[in-house]
Amino acid sequence: MKNSIRQIWAVAKVAARSNLAYIGEVASRTFFLAVILFIFLKLWQATYRESASSVLGGLTLKQMLWYLTVTEAIYMSAPRLAQQIDEDVRSGALAVRLLKPISYPLYCLSSALGERIVRFLANFATGAAVTFCLVGPFDCSPAAPLMLLVTVLLAFVLDGLGHLIIGLWAFWLEDTSGLLLIYTRLSMILGGMLIPMELFPDWLKSFVLFLPFPYLVWGPAHLFVHSNWLQFAQLLGCQFLYILLLLAIVKVIYGWALERISAHGG
Amino acid sequence: MNAVETDNLRKVFEIKKGLLGRDSKTVVAVEAISLTVPAGQSVAFIGPNGAGKSTTIKMLTGILKPSSGTASVLGLDPWKQRSKLVRQIGAVFGQRSQLWLHLPPSDSFDLLAEIYGIPKNDYRKRKALLVERFDLGRFLSTPVRKLSLGERMRAEIAASLLHRPQLLLLDEPTIGVDVIARQNLRDLVCQWNREEGVTVFLTSHDTGDIESVADRVVVINHGRIVLDDSLSSVSENTLIEGKPAGLEEIIAHLFSGATNLSMQNCISPS
Repeated sequence: MKNSIRQIWAVAKVAARSNLAYIGEVASRTFFLAVILFIFLKLWQATYRESASSVLGGLTLKQMLWYLTVTEAIYMSAPRLAQQIDEDVRSGALAVRLLKPISYPLYCLSSALGERIVRFLANFATGAAVTFCLVGPFDCSPAAPLMLLVTVLLAFVLDGLGHLIIGLWAFWLEDTSGLLLIYTRLSMILGGMLIPMELFPDWLKSFVLFLPFPYLVWGPAHLFVHSNWLQFAQLLGCQFLYILLLLAIVKVIYGWALERISAHGG
Repeated sequence: MNAVETDNLRKVFEIKKGLLGRDSKTVVAVEAISLTVPAGQSVAFIGPNGAGKSTTIKMLTGILKPSSGTASVLGLDPWKQRSKLVRQIGAVFGQRSQLWLHLPPSDSFDLLAEIYGIPKNDYRKRKALLVERFDLGRFLSTPVRKLSLGERMRAEIAASLLHRPQLLLLDEPTIGVDVIARQNLRDLVCQWNREEGVTVFLTSHDTGDIESVADRVVVINHGRIVLDDSLSSVSENTLIEGKPAGLEEIIAHLFSGATNLSMQNCISPS
């Protein structure tokens, strides 16, 4: 266990450092984020004006913009984990990875985490600066940044496992881009990236809460604008539960994948 | 002690056909490989594309489970003790890198040290030794993407030796590398084989690699061993149609599909 944690930390650290080499890509993403946030401001300004209300789904316009800053920073930091597994399987690079004394899924997940943390921090810093200029400072509770940090980290682990499950299907499908598209769109819509879950119809909201998507995006962002220790504990519980569930699924699918290589060739 | 021992190793793949994979056919990738490699030997394991080289190597490293036959690598069962075995194997693939492209080799070395769990003091000494021997000092802090192929391959081989492997797998280690750098890589592998007694298992289509590095040549075709002899014996005593032949000519002849039995008509190992 101690050895695995050391390996996760080492791989994540190298991946984070490597990602800083893609400074052009990071810069273009953050520029795109600034444009998106400006468009959101205009859209939500019009929505608040039309509804003649200063609060929608429990959020003021300023809170809405800060909520969207967090959701966009999370969503746009998604790593190329599933695509990487696709490439490893198709190119045969998988054989090289399997010769190292670290579990392949653990290696992929650690690398994705390192990469994602760098991207998230760059996105959030830019997003916060833009949102600050557009709607002014957000008066968050002192605990909010801590809650955000912890829940975002767990959201990244959870999302990483989701990407891993999609990527592992490459052993059967060879190209998982279709599955990945469905997964990312579901996490975008049902995860509350564009619209907070408070604005979903009640039936949809109660259904979505049984899925992992809200705990990837909506949970951490909502907690940032509405810090609450009880909700923090509930979110952590749901995230841990889904992480355990997805870990079990990864273990089963990876076992099948290795069996498949052995039976049908790499 | 033998580094590798296999007895009638066989691998059959079931290839699914059709949309739902209901139809399938079986393909024999490795027919029967029986091989004993003493520790410290350098073996060139060669064959044409599709001969079963990669499948054999994947079975020896525990990635694939054989359909029948047995194997022992460094005294371990590759399928049951894979995680223990990979700690004692170093691998260099000429067309795949284990180094992080955007980072200097030094960072990849640090990561490998963590992955293999090398104690810090041992790692420092080992790294210093490899840097000196492989002359990596000049570019140890340069991102891998900026290195020449020769420099990159030197760093790759050094990386694969960090954890003191007992078995070094080299798959086309000199592919695309210029003549001088190629000879340099071969010399370094030979040096390490002599000094640390690491067993070298080389696959290459370059006869220069084989002649420089290997003590022994094993040629496989259609999943079977068609030639297994010491390099000196193959080079000195083999005749094709009564005439002495170079290694390249002999290998080409074997690759052309001749079986061991019919080989005796055209190639006469004396």
